[in-house]
Amino acid sequence: MFAIVEEVLDVGALIQDAQRPDCGAIATFVGTTRIDESEGETVEYLEYEAYRPMADRKLEEIGAEIEGRWEVRHVSIVHRLGKVDPGEASVAIVVAAPRRGPALEASRYAIERIKEVVPIWKREIWSDGYVWVGSQVGTRNVASGKP
Amino acid sequence: MIKVLLFGAAADRAGTREIELPVDEGVTLAEIWPLLARRHPDLTPMRDTLAFAVNGEYARGDASVSPGDEVAVLPPVSGG
Repeated sequence: MFAIVEEVLDVGALIQDAQRPDCGAIATFVGTTRIDESEGETVEYLEYEAYRPMADRKLEEIGAEIEGRWEVRHVSIVHRLGKVDPGEASVAIVVAAPRRGPALEASRYAIERIKEVVPIWKREIWSDGYVWVGSQVGTRNVASGKP
Repeated sequence: MIKVLLFGAAADRAGTREIELPVDEGVTLAEIWPLLARRHPDLTPMRDTLAFAVNGEYARGDASVSPGDEVAVLPPVSGG
């Protein structure tokens, strides 16, 4: 299952969906929103946006790449959009395979590829402004380079 | 006309998420950039960081763009 959703991710349900009698391993990667602090200011939450349907298609392509490279029987990738509160899951990857090696490698590959090719962007909303991660553009003084 | 979609920091800098641009048949993606930068000069400093898509797929500068196409301006992705 490949999906981009606006609601809280149900990682347990994704793992349950991956359970199969022909697989001996389910590898799960869950990316969660980390709250950074600097000079007394903190990140309050993260906000994600995507170019759809290109982003949906890229998730499916990553799934196809994985199936071409490893012996896996099930791949799910679900990414969240909109406001994501501190510590919540922003992305969940679940790979089931007959053996643990391919499951672990494929889940690692999926998150690295997401960070390379899937048109999704996040901005950190700080107590004193926001910053687009990766572009360092925003309204915080630190980001805009203003004194 | 083509539709140009802007995302993330590029939308921020341009102050808009969607622009219509008049283009001739057979223009390339690289030829669209100056039109875009003229209309939204604040995009210029981002030029080297941007990727582009035509009709939902990554495209290089020599890709041809026709009236009716959708071009997307993509800052460095930061999903996950």
